[in-house]
Amino acid sequence: MSGRELFLVGLSHRSAPIEVRERVALTGDALKDALVQLKGQEGVGEALVVSTCNRVEVYVHAESEDAARAFFTSRSEEAGAHVYVERGVEAVRHLFRVSSSLDSMVVGEQQILGQVKEAYGLASAAQAAGAYVSRLCNRAFATAKRIRTETDIGRGATSMSQVAVELVEKIFGGLEGRAILLLGAGKMGALSAKALAVLGADRILVTNRSPDRGLALATQVGGLFRTFEELPRLLVESDVVIVSTGAPSYVLTGEMVHVAMKARRSRSLCLIDLAVPRNVDPACADFPEVFAYDVDDLEKVVESTQEARRGEAIRAEGIVEAEVMAFARERESRAALPVLSQLRRHAEAIARAEAERTLGHLGAKLDEKGKRSVEAMAQAIVNKLLHGPTARLKEAAASGDGTLPGAAADLFGIEDEAPGEAPAAGDGGQPEDGRAAVASERGQLEAGRARGP
Amino acid sequence: MSIVILRITALLYAVGAAGYVAYFARPRHREAATFGFWVLTAGFVLHAAAIGVGCAEFGGREFFTVRGGIALLVWLIVGAYLLLHRLYRLPALGAFVTPFALVLLVPALFATLDHPEVAPEMVRSPVLAVHVLSAMLGLALFGIACGVGFMYLLQEREVKGKRFGALFSRLPSLDVLDRLGQRLVRLGFVVFTVALVAGSVIASTVWKTPFDPQQVVFIAVWALYGLMVQLRHSGWHGRRYAVLTLVGFFIVITSMVSLKVVPGITRHAGNYGAPSPTEVRQ
Repeated sequence: MSGRELFLVGLSHRSAPIEVRERVALTGDALKDALVQLKGQEGVGEALVVSTCNRVEVYVHAESEDAARAFFTSRSEEAGAHVYVERGVEAVRHLFRVSSSLDSMVVGEQQILGQVKEAYGLASAAQAAGAYVSRLCNRAFATAKRIRTETDIGRGATSMSQVAVELVEKIFGGLEGRAILLLGAGKMGALSAKALAVLGADRILVTNRSPDRGLALATQVGGLFRTFEELPRLLVESDVVIVSTGAPSYVLTGEMVHVAMKARRSRSLCLIDLAVPRNVDPACADFPEVFAYDVDDLEKVVESTQEARRGEAIRAEGIVEAEVMAFARERESRAALPVLSQLRRHAEAIARAEAERTLGHLGAKLDEKGKRSVEAMAQAIVNKLLHGPTARLKEAAASGDGTLPGAAADLFGIEDEAPGEAPAAGDGGQPEDGRAAVASERGQLEAGRARGP
Repeated sequence: MSIVILRITALLYAVGAAGYVAYFARPRHREAATFGFWVLTAGFVLHAAAIGVGCAEFGGREFFTVRGGIALLVWLIVGAYLLLHRLYRLPALGAFVTPFALVLLVPALFATLDHPEVAPEMVRSPVLAVHVLSAMLGLALFGIACGVGFMYLLQEREVKGKRFGALFSRLPSLDVLDRLGQRLVRLGFVVFTVALVAGSVIASTVWKTPFDPQQVVFIAVWALYGLMVQLRHSGWHGRRYAVLTLVGFFIVITSMVSLKVVPGITRHAGNYGAPSPTEVRQ
């Protein structure tokens, strides 16, 4: 095999400030060009660039990390001081951890897997990703999928607006046919109202003491502006009220909610108070069918999610470790493939020649069926004879024993096929074994998928 | 014989319930719920066989005893649940309804079938079959509504009490539970009304004497659920309604059991207070 291995040079939110990250981050065509350029460099076989707002990582299957390092230093002098470099198994593990969202700012977030998939898609399109990167990425995706289905790392809400969405969902199911009222022009309120849009509310009503800001907010969130004087009626009309005004005291009092609930004939009402100091009188929560939450309640959920995810992350690391080992073993057993395929080709050539010789003698006496039987018999003998050695060679390679393949080559008089040129053949040159390996990988991917919900 | 089949059925229900509970404990394992569903279906089919064999053995009179009555009720509850599952796909509901059905079935597994009198003519009357079946189906629906109401109260405690624990994420939304409970009560009431009409047809032809306790209880239960349907229209829902479904079914079960346990209190058990078959024919 060649001296190529996987190198990673990268920087992330852990190693570099945003000013550095934004200077090296790339998207779209610029990223494609960079991939083509990387691939074109001396000693680089394949390349993959993961570029998100939190990280820029360059993976190369190459003889050294120089090209990947140059990617950063050519873009920003300063970046060189912030990059981290990994090689071999460490680099594989890093990619698996990144794809599984174990290295993310919010552990367990779902976007990163999509971003790595996109990066792989781009690398394929730019023809920078070959057989090695494909296998690496597929394994990384399978690992991420496994972690998502086997652990609870993706469970729970990690932001206040997400908590609000979960709460509202548990009270109302969906929001079809219902209205959201945005009371006050706070930024958090607008964010939450937008997040709640996934539940399919019929309309968003906006009210604010100052009509100007209220109107602006209404256009921003795609809602209807109503004057502040209409508030009592709005409380009857809407089902979810998000309150975030800058008022120093209660904007919604127990009395107002009491009146509204009477008019609502006790239809459930959800009050989410995002303001500090609070804008909703805690007494409102005492009415049946009124569900009231303040910032502290939502924060507590976010915290408990993070706590739970930390625990799940430990289990996820175990899965990553197992997958990294499996990937490494698979690579090693692949190293025995050149000898194996040569052995097989050698044996098949003999079988074919002998079958032809026999048919030459008997040709006239045999019909089509008979000829086919002779050929099949020769092939069957080859298969049976090679079955044991094939299995043992694969085992030996998987356990890191390099002597057996050499001994086999000697024993069967197979000439070494210039090992320096082997990688092209090793990765694509053996149609049968190569395909079998890819198929087995696909099988694992699908097994991972089958475990999903 | 039928009691042996019934006991095997109970075993299947227990396994099915375990599947649903396992799913509820670990929602990632959806296959546990699927397993529960199929085992429960198998139990339901076997239960039908048990009822059929029971009919052949006792000629229908077993439905007037604790054992036969409860067995029929549980069979209908399970059947209604299986149907609901196809319609609503709420496997979490299974974790509540199936153990509940199983517990309800326990007395039937050990009660003896000591029934002195037989009223063959009446039992074979199609109107009586309609009466018994619809009354039991109504009760089954009220029973499931009770389970749903219980789930509502649990979820409401989580949502309102800001617990957001395991139950919070596993139970369906309050709105879904509230509407499901209401539908079950409404449907149960309609079916129960059919039973009431069929029952009064029989009573007026067979019995000349005034009401007996079971008839009074029957009408009271019907009125109670009728009131619940009415209250819903006047804005009752959520917590109050869930409590009502629980209280309603508690009343149903206690009155049903006490009527069966106190000997001779009602004509529905024992001698039916009916004239002899020959008199009926005249």
